[in-house]
Amino acid sequence: MNPSLYRKLLLIIAALIALGLPLVVTSATYLHILILLFLYAYLTTSWNLVGGFAGVLPLGHATFVGIGAYTSTILSLQYGISPWIGMLVGAVLSSIVGVIIGLPTFKMRGAYFALATIAFAEGIRVMFENIDYLGPFQINGPRGLQIPPLKTGLAHFMFADKEPYYYIILAMLAGVLALTWVISRSKLGYYLVAGGEEPEAAQSLGVNVARAKLMAMAMSSFLTAFAGTFWAQFTLYIHPKSVMSLDISFEIAFIALIGGRGSIAGPVLGAMLLRPVSDFSRIYFGSTLPGLHLIIFGVVLILVMLFQPRGLQEPLTRAYRRVMNGRFGGKEAAA
Amino acid sequence: MNILEIQQVKKYFGGIKAVESFSLNVGEGEIVGLIGPNGAGKSTLFNCVAGVFPPTSGDILFLGEKINGQKPWDLCHKGLARTFQIVKPFASRTVLYNVVVGAFATTDKRSEAETRALEVLRHLRMEEKKDLRAGNLTIADRKRLEIAKALATQPKLLLLDEVMAGLRPTEVDEMVAIIKHLREYGMTIFVIEHIMRAIMALSDRIAVLHFGTKIAEGTPQEIARDERVIKAYLGEDYGAA
Amino acid sequence: MLFILEDTINGILMGSIYGLAALGLTLIFGVLKVINFAHGSLLMVGMYVAYWAVILTGMHPYLVLVIVVPIMFVFGYLLQDILIKPIFKAEKDVREPITVIIVTTGVWYILDNLSLLVFGPQYRNIQGNPLQGKMLEFGDMMISVPKLWGFCAAIITAALVYLFLQKTRMGRAVRATSLDREAASLQGINQYKIYNVTFGIGTAVAGVAGAALVPFFNIFPSVGVLFDIKCFIIVVLGGLGSIGGALLGGMIVGVIESVGPQFMTATWTEAIVYGLFLVFLFLKPSGLFGVKYDW
Repeated sequence: MNPSLYRKLLLIIAALIALGLPLVVTSATYLHILILLFLYAYLTTSWNLVGGFAGVLPLGHATFVGIGAYTSTILSLQYGISPWIGMLVGAVLSSIVGVIIGLPTFKMRGAYFALATIAFAEGIRVMFENIDYLGPFQINGPRGLQIPPLKTGLAHFMFADKEPYYYIILAMLAGVLALTWVISRSKLGYYLVAGGEEPEAAQSLGVNVARAKLMAMAMSSFLTAFAGTFWAQFTLYIHPKSVMSLDISFEIAFIALIGGRGSIAGPVLGAMLLRPVSDFSRIYFGSTLPGLHLIIFGVVLILVMLFQPRGLQEPLTRAYRRVMNGRFGGKEAAA
Repeated sequence: MNILEIQQVKKYFGGIKAVESFSLNVGEGEIVGLIGPNGAGKSTLFNCVAGVFPPTSGDILFLGEKINGQKPWDLCHKGLARTFQIVKPFASRTVLYNVVVGAFATTDKRSEAETRALEVLRHLRMEEKKDLRAGNLTIADRKRLEIAKALATQPKLLLLDEVMAGLRPTEVDEMVAIIKHLREYGMTIFVIEHIMRAIMALSDRIAVLHFGTKIAEGTPQEIARDERVIKAYLGEDYGAA
Repeated sequence: MLFILEDTINGILMGSIYGLAALGLTLIFGVLKVINFAHGSLLMVGMYVAYWAVILTGMHPYLVLVIVVPIMFVFGYLLQDILIKPIFKAEKDVREPITVIIVTTGVWYILDNLSLLVFGPQYRNIQGNPLQGKMLEFGDMMISVPKLWGFCAAIITAALVYLFLQKTRMGRAVRATSLDREAASLQGINQYKIYNVTFGIGTAVAGVAGAALVPFFNIFPSVGVLFDIKCFIIVVLGGLGSIGGALLGGMIVGVIESVGPQFMTATWTEAIVYGLFLVFLFLKPSGLFGVKYDW
């Protein structure tokens, strides 16, 4: 058995476990937690395309979640268009907004870029909180939009039970992970890494760094919007604070950073570690110790940045490689 | 045809005249050296040619086309590659990864890029180091990697910016052999160097820059005897490495 | 018309307090080249410290500064020393370590939620404090007295910081480090000590701003978030590292917030402030008075 076969076997086992979980986990609460876990894993993996591979720190990604959520919701509530189509429209819109934001901001240095993304995100959120109508589209300001669960079924992206949502988000997560893997091995992936590490050297090797970053941003915002639609169809109520808030943007970034941005497994790992902390501390300590999970987040974040700045996936990957080398000898090719 | 024609290029930074009316032609297959005391303006000239910034006046022609102010990545696709004096490897990645980035300049497929990268590494005798982390390399290896990255882009003109700096004498000799070897692959090379015996051994012709002006141009032997050059380098003797 | 003048004046006064709040941030950025995302939280801590000082001692809100300033200085000093210095040491070559931004964001989360846990979410204010609700009559206009005090505090603090930087040995060391930390360290200046001191001063100034706000502003755990973004906007508008810029930037924001609602909703005013921020970020990132960095 060679290393790559071993890896494929591990992936198959993981996939089987993931597919079979709903059969074992029957409690609706736990299933809900799992769904949110996968949702955040999806969000952070999408974020990773810009925040990890392109090497910048975008702190306003929730805005794309919001654009996706509002677009599909408005299209389905006001015009009866299927949420699946709305999802695509929202993604395209999100992509355009992402490029618009990226064009002027990618030229800035790190801290300024982070601030600019925050400013954009908050600006858009403030706008949504203050208008009732955007042209013919009803936004409803801070009250938000409710989705009445009238018709169920796959065509309407609406289900009575949680299981279908579980499988949909699992499929989305698998898709975005596969896409990230493909990109990391593609010309764009190499160019993004090069441009992120040494922009001048990369440019002299033929890399149009700005264009690569914009492509990454377009893809990332496109994919993030999908999650917005999912969220809307899952929770059936959206308002600016619930889909566009800075808290969401920061949580996405934190999870990716703690797990290890720039790697494929890092964001998922981060989500698997931190989301349960978040959910369980809210369930058990929500009333007695509010905000406990955020304190834990903050502490973990600081500890990781101080001791393992490449994220928690680093020691795990190293251990995995050691085991592989021990078993099969020779050098395991860098993933 | 001349691969590179620098025609009366001036580069001013505000009041500072870094390069003053410099002209030079580099013919196909030549190795041309550029020397001069520190601060003479050599790197500034390179940066003008390589597209980092445009010349204040004058023209730069590459393969007959005027390239003033064109961007480095576009120039790379036209066949102009450069190395940096302060080496900038993609430190967190392997040697192979670094070179593949360069190889992608002429292909979109990773398999092709990898094949080309391995070929380049083989020519530079770095193949066994392909899986090492670039950030962990010695300075000599990093300089070689820098050349490998540029080579992978399949350039017609290679600009080498002080690739010998910091190398030990044996490493310098190795590097000279490698660069001479490159010429056999149809490459034209424009070198900035401080280490005299290296540039004397390498170059077909040498231009000397002093305070932004060209004070001499000729074969290595002519340059070594040129009084103006000796005066500019007062105290520096040919043969020091 | 008179309302606009009154609003403008009150806007300037409030704005000067914003500027005071931003002063610490601009100082920290100017010297450490680090954007301290936890600054709003430090302000919140300052407010709580001032609040409790007044409640427990019954002193005048501005007299408690003798307690607040030293406590905040030490707090900031230790924060920098324990959490941020290790990162600087690890990323010595990076001119602007992004990791620090991430760490300060962590600090923000911890401080805000810790205070939520400890103090509870309720809004507090100091009832019956000597400055509360007092108005000064200036012809037909009503000027807020606590804001006037705040204005004076802002000017005095800014002047003190300026004098410190210009006239004292330590201050000159701070300026040297901000211009070129390698050169400064070659001159025998311990850059890490300078960073600690600067962070301490920045935090202490935030403490003064907190004390200035306490007489009339509600105190609650997430009050820092309100000011955090505002402070960033002010610092970019006024120019990173510029004391005068911070005050001026603060006054601009204060006036927009004050006069704006006469012509549009308060939240559109907020949008305008964001818009101005973005315009400056794109067109003139060095702000009105900032030093030109090679951004």
